[in-house]
Amino acid sequence: MNQTVLKWLEQTVKTHTDKVMLTDENSSLTFGEFDRISKAIGTCLAGKVAPASPVVVMSGRHVITPAAFLGVVRAGCFYAPMDATMPVSRLNQILKIIKSKYMLVDRAFANVADQLDFDGERLYIDEIAETPINETLLARAAEQLLPTSPLYVIFTSGSTGVPKGVITSHQSLMHYIDAVAGVLDIQENDVLGSQSPFDYIAAVRDIYLPLKTGASTVVVPKNEFSMPVQLFETLNRHKVTTLCWSVAGIELPAKLGGFDCGKPEHLKKVCFSGSVMACKYLKIWQEHLPDVLFVNQYGPTEATASCTYYVVSEKVDDSTVLPIGKPYENYGILLLNEDDTPTAPGEIGEICVKGPVLALGYYGDAERTAQAFIQNPLNPNYRELIYKTGDLGRWMEDGNLAFHGRKDRQIKHMGHRIELGELEKTAAEVEGVSQCCAMYNKDKELLYLFYTGDATSKEIVLHFRAVLPAFMVPRKLIRLDELPRLPNGKLDMQTMKNLF
Amino acid sequence: MEELMKILEELRPDVDFENETGLIANGILDSFDIVSLVNELSDAFDVEIKPSDLIPDNFNSASAILALVERLQDE
Repeated sequence: MNQTVLKWLEQTVKTHTDKVMLTDENSSLTFGEFDRISKAIGTCLAGKVAPASPVVVMSGRHVITPAAFLGVVRAGCFYAPMDATMPVSRLNQILKIIKSKYMLVDRAFANVADQLDFDGERLYIDEIAETPINETLLARAAEQLLPTSPLYVIFTSGSTGVPKGVITSHQSLMHYIDAVAGVLDIQENDVLGSQSPFDYIAAVRDIYLPLKTGASTVVVPKNEFSMPVQLFETLNRHKVTTLCWSVAGIELPAKLGGFDCGKPEHLKKVCFSGSVMACKYLKIWQEHLPDVLFVNQYGPTEATASCTYYVVSEKVDDSTVLPIGKPYENYGILLLNEDDTPTAPGEIGEICVKGPVLALGYYGDAERTAQAFIQNPLNPNYRELIYKTGDLGRWMEDGNLAFHGRKDRQIKHMGHRIELGELEKTAAEVEGVSQCCAMYNKDKELLYLFYTGDATSKEIVLHFRAVLPAFMVPRKLIRLDELPRLPNGKLDMQTMKNLF
Repeated sequence: MEELMKILEELRPDVDFENETGLIANGILDSFDIVSLVNELSDAFDVEIKPSDLIPDNFNSASAILALVERLQDE
């Protein structure tokens, strides 16, 4: 069998058939059951879909969802997860890009599916999970998969208002999972607590670390993240040893005083990513859990989850700024100046990634793919792609990479990537908004919208709620008679910042 | 109640706080909302919301939130 994630699944299911792989609030699946469901769904699809086709999966945060993903893979296809709680117009944007002929739907979201512009075939997951397995059909479909075949497409914010579907291959994902499993020393007796929605890149660890190692994953209910006492109880009940969470998710329990009432007793390792960790919160974690391994990760979806990592070896204080560390195994990092020349030692440059971990590009968007994934300008001799992250970095003397923010107006809010330009485009769609400027107050973690015109803040917020995911809705709306401008006519961001 | 309703409406203008009784149970308020709300309530009513107060029952409806604030004010 080729080097694909199915190889991991086949190996692990042999040694761990009756071990629990996934648990949610209501149910759990063993590796054997997970495998059976993936084969049933794979059989159903393989009889219908041509190999290498995208299949949309709209399902909730429960154990059958990853099994449906692997079912798609077993059919020789790749999955595009969609979060049914997003506004219908956002889901339609995704459908328009992915143009899938089949959608796997959780019956609970049938009413959402009814509202979508989708003219392909809808398949209910619980129904097709009962398809009699056809091993011959599955073997033929699996032969079609190469290490370079797409595994999934995950959508992320685009500055033009159109989301970008990042395509990740089997080999890229497997390189990342191998690397992170090594750094965190993931073993079969580890239990991961899953924070992320399954349509988000962070979920790949919670799905594929068990697949590779025989560890298991517990889906933590979403509404427990703001209820720290309950959250820690859940982690303790399931004896969770490992958290791979967004920085925002790690900060929350510390921010809300969760450690005053208890702590996750079985925890051994914590890795976090998505934005810059405020060390006043990490300090609280370290004080209560002195023996836990903490790992800071950095990386864009386009370079498969995370490309650098830093094992926190020091006791942090409020003012500590964590480096983003060194490249994971099989990842290469280079820093480039604005004019594509190499950055001098100790200088700040754009972080660029190379190696077999780069995404295959943006789905159906050759133009934006060509802008972001380019020939390494330092290599005139053979084909070597790099991904320009738009992030700035600097090599420190000890060999670690330091993070220095963004080149453009992309921000990270609660672990999510947001283009401020997309917020302005959305606000401008509201009747009664003439001019606007979106800004991010990093200290308070609040999205601001400054605008001129007659629209009320309620009208604007309602429009945002109708078209964008909740994390992209501005929290503070400030109406001005005129947006402040500099003498050269550009917006005066500093004056607006003073209104935070 | 009036002041609380103003805070809630500003926080989430799309939610019917008068009638909704499953703000947490039905996943209407997410963790971003709770963090903002805890900060706003602490400032506006001069109360200290402890982690042990952060349970769904205290946040499922506007009246439950009001009851929590009043209880904390009495302490």
